[in-house]
Amino acid sequence: MTGFLLRRLVETAILLALMSFAIYGLIGLMPGDPIDLMMTADPTLTSADIARLKTVYGLDQPLIDRYLAWAGSALQGDFGYSRIYAQPAAAVIGDRLGNTILLMGGAFALALALALPLGMLAAWRSGRPLDHAINLVAFAGISMPQFWLAILAIILFAVILGWLPAGGMGDGSIGGSLNHLILPVVTLAIASTGGILRYVRASMREALRQDFIRTARAKGVSTARLLWFHALRNAMIPVVTILALDFGALFSGALITETMFSWLGMGKTIYDAIMGNDYNLALLGLMIATALVLACNLLADLAYAWLDPRVRYR
Amino acid sequence: MTQLAATRRIAAGTLPPVGFFAALRRQPLALVAAVIIATLALLSLGAPLIAAWLDTPADIVDIMNRYAPASAEHPFGTDELGRDLLVRLAYGGRISLGLGLVAGLAAALLGIAIGLPAGYYGGRLDSLLMRMADGVIALPLLPLLIVLAAIDLTKLGLPAEWAHSPATSFWRVAILVALVGWTTVARLVRGTTLSLRQRDYVRAAEALGARPARIMLTHILPNLATPILVALSLSIGNVILFESVLSFLGLGIQPPWPSWGNMLTGAQELIWSAPMLAVWPGLLIFVTVIAFNLLGDGLEAALDPRGRD
Amino acid sequence: MRRYARLFLILFAMSLCGPAFARDELRIGVAQYPATMHPNIEAMLAKSYLLGFTQRPITTYDQAWELVCMLCVELPTIENGGAVIEPLPEGSEFAEGVAITFTLQPDATWGDGTPITTADVIFTWEVGRHEESGVVSGEGYRRILAIDVIDDKTFTIHQDRVDFNYNAFNDFGLLPAHLERAIFEENPREYRHRTLFDTDSTNPGLWFGPYRVAQITPGAEILLERNPTWWGEQAAFERIRLIAIENTAALEANLLSGSIDMISGELGLALDQAIAFETRHGDRFHVLYKPVLFYEHLEPNFDSPILSDLRVRRALLYAIDRDRINDQLFAGKQTVALTNVNPLDWMYAEDVMAYPYDSAQAVALLEEAGWHEGPDGWRANDAGERLSFSIMSTAGDRSRELVEQVLQSQWRELGIEVAIQNQPARVFFGETVQQRLFDGLALFAWLSAPESVPRTTMHSTMIPTEENNWQGQNSSGYRNDEVDALIDAMEVELDREKRRGMWQRLQEIYAEELPALPLWFRSQAFILPLWLNGIEPTGNQYSTSLWVENWRVTD
Repeated sequence: MTGFLLRRLVETAILLALMSFAIYGLIGLMPGDPIDLMMTADPTLTSADIARLKTVYGLDQPLIDRYLAWAGSALQGDFGYSRIYAQPAAAVIGDRLGNTILLMGGAFALALALALPLGMLAAWRSGRPLDHAINLVAFAGISMPQFWLAILAIILFAVILGWLPAGGMGDGSIGGSLNHLILPVVTLAIASTGGILRYVRASMREALRQDFIRTARAKGVSTARLLWFHALRNAMIPVVTILALDFGALFSGALITETMFSWLGMGKTIYDAIMGNDYNLALLGLMIATALVLACNLLADLAYAWLDPRVRYR
Repeated sequence: MTQLAATRRIAAGTLPPVGFFAALRRQPLALVAAVIIATLALLSLGAPLIAAWLDTPADIVDIMNRYAPASAEHPFGTDELGRDLLVRLAYGGRISLGLGLVAGLAAALLGIAIGLPAGYYGGRLDSLLMRMADGVIALPLLPLLIVLAAIDLTKLGLPAEWAHSPATSFWRVAILVALVGWTTVARLVRGTTLSLRQRDYVRAAEALGARPARIMLTHILPNLATPILVALSLSIGNVILFESVLSFLGLGIQPPWPSWGNMLTGAQELIWSAPMLAVWPGLLIFVTVIAFNLLGDGLEAALDPRGRD
Repeated sequence: MRRYARLFLILFAMSLCGPAFARDELRIGVAQYPATMHPNIEAMLAKSYLLGFTQRPITTYDQAWELVCMLCVELPTIENGGAVIEPLPEGSEFAEGVAITFTLQPDATWGDGTPITTADVIFTWEVGRHEESGVVSGEGYRRILAIDVIDDKTFTIHQDRVDFNYNAFNDFGLLPAHLERAIFEENPREYRHRTLFDTDSTNPGLWFGPYRVAQITPGAEILLERNPTWWGEQAAFERIRLIAIENTAALEANLLSGSIDMISGELGLALDQAIAFETRHGDRFHVLYKPVLFYEHLEPNFDSPILSDLRVRRALLYAIDRDRINDQLFAGKQTVALTNVNPLDWMYAEDVMAYPYDSAQAVALLEEAGWHEGPDGWRANDAGERLSFSIMSTAGDRSRELVEQVLQSQWRELGIEVAIQNQPARVFFGETVQQRLFDGLALFAWLSAPESVPRTTMHSTMIPTEENNWQGQNSSGYRNDEVDALIDAMEVELDREKRRGMWQRLQEIYAEELPALPLWFRSQAFILPLWLNGIEPTGNQYSTSLWVENWRVTD
């Protein structure tokens, strides 16, 4: 077990290092550099100014040298300054990570709370109209363009009904933040529920076909107990692994929801950094997102081993 | 990204059962979905016919006639530049559905090219290729795709004239999807190949001295057709949705080429004054994606031998 | 009487819990968040807007487009003796320079109580001309040869040349020497990272306007509160909140739901969006339109054999109906341009060659230029080359995308083939325009100050090339010796009437030769609550926030 963990950790580190280089190279392939943007913002710049600024920002160095310099200080824990926020990149990401966890955690919990019972119900009523109806709803959630859903939600709940704020982060108080969280969490949860529901339904159906369920049913165990206790525990094994994978991807994938609701999360930050040619911030954000996905993968493997005693890792 | 994951679970290899079409007929939702898709495809293919019938060329601007309500002349009204909305939607369907098909196929082909040898040869090659697939799945896909969608092709030595055309934006999205979307099909193909190569007829062919490439293409691949179809159906829906996300970020299909994604994005600012301009493309995306998902789901259920009781 | 008193009390109590109570605070929606708050690092609209509330430039152009004092007491001119022309030593670039004496507002004080003095002026100059400080535009600071300190509030600036706007110090953003000097001197190279403007933005000592920064949520919100040391008139609001919402549809929704009170015109809705908004909610909000010095034009690439032909450029302009586009797409709220000079500028000339919509004239010019319509409907020359080029602009700018498609359609009627190729703004401005990579027309705008001499956009030395590090904004590659001479002369001509003559000639040449095809001056739309008065857009690049103390609540 320890050997397995160690090997995975080493693999993760190597993958991260490769990623950092690839991302640095890719951003280098993106058009323009920060100085080009300044030139267009300020017509009085002279060519002397431009040359001077390129030196100040280190842009006169070849890409590979800039990468090595970045990697060197990153290894010492210095991730440089974010250009678009004029703050240390680590500080910006630190703030945003918290917001993202709040948003994602809420959406994930809500999605799970909806998907578990509905998925079980669908599996139990497999092939019946109820199953088809739930299935249709699940697909509807997956198939909705996110920003369309978000704007409809804003129009309905914020403008017409006036129940909830249209966006923003709130004033920092718990009540204020919760108020601002509801709409983004719900829109995000609608999209995730469908996917999770489909996993639950599929693996629940699988579990319900197993012999021990038939045995239990023959013994006269009540339906609710059968579903919630016997079948669910078995069905959760594949579901948990897939959920862990999804959860990792969600960290950087909530970009659209974050943009529409002006929620300052990781997805939006990474996007802005990429678009604003902010190497340091984009790199750190992408690295953290990758690390999270990898960590979730690892967790998925561990959870699998824990839930299913037949699995052993070498 | 949930959608990408949703297709992951069909990775376990399944063989096309006997009586597949009979089974499919027992999936009413899938049949409805297939009819919807066929209708939309016909509508898109017939775009020039619709334009001729209504006598309104697709891209002639008429600024005296903006936001016209629905009428006999313009069944869906006109858009912000006085163009007929129905004709625009039909042409947009060509791009959106075409992109879904092209990108889905490209991903499937890449997946087959990787999954087949991995499953057939096994061993080192297999673990290398599957590690690669794991690696791609582990990436934070959306931000990476954004980076890829924003890179400047002229810096890769492509001529500027070519790099900035709307056609390029189409192919760029298709290639991006193929680059990250192949893993589903690859795993699926690998799993099935792994079990197929133990079959007697494959062994017999091997004993007769057939070359591996020939065995893979003539004996194994045909048996993979239906599961690949399922994966393709699911991924076409995802691509259409993904294009709308890229369009929202300004990285999708570039105007004046219409796609449902960029029409929806363009209309969001007008959602108050001309809501139908946003409602129609949004609805078409929604209906198409859900239809492809239901079709894939139905195909899969029809494939599942245990699902036919 | 008692009854009335009670009624009054009830009304008073109601007004306490009603919206009037909330008017201690003004919440302004903006579409951009400033990257840095340092006055002289990076130029950004969002930052100018913020600094208008929290700082004041030495001088600025006001709503009448006159140069006025903000931080100084009286505008020094050659006429009033505040500025004196002086000879420069042998070997200087110019023979004469000018010495300008400013006196700062006697009560001007940083928010922490430290008086603003000449020491701050000197420090700002030192940072500005330092090679490694990261200040974007060093030109203005390098033109200053020396600053003589006369007393705490009075100083004399010696400039290395005499140009007509010698006394304009609009972008001289004062830095607090008492807080920043130590940081700067410790490591000038790292100064742009360590400056208190970004590491400790809520430090009161950084600000001296009617407001100071009280609290920030990076990327989302800036809370401003009244600055107790402000020397001028008291502003109406206790607090002002700048709330950044990038997506304009969401911005609009926030306004309608009451999360924000107004949308700024400098950084707000696109014009057509604002017009649509007004038709629906004109009864609840006041929409203020103002054409600004935002010159939208089509820049041809003179390297293109098609567009370097004057007849083709004229034909293209005759073939588009700018008035109708303006009426239909922008409800007539923009000002159709004759040349690059705005009608609000004092030297505007009306009597230059105009190009009203005239497709017959356009056809005649095209025929004369050798472009004849072929059987396929497209025009081609005798060599069989088609009259075809591309039009490029910023992707995602809806107004421009609409205009492009209208132009494409109107030109097609005459057999001219135009391909639309749009790019993200950073590519378009950062590379395509700057490095002259467009093969046909580029659609974009210049934002400028009043009476801005078009040196960077029209002088032949300002054509960006690889050799000059892509400096300059004459992206069309236009060359005209007379224009060069006029620009050189008008910059140093102090006599306004003589300058008027030069401007007249420049506009005539512009209209005749069309170095760019003029479209219109864009308009800004301010969406204001009915109870807010006193916002007066300048129409130039300077923000309304510089006059925030004039904003008033009326019921």
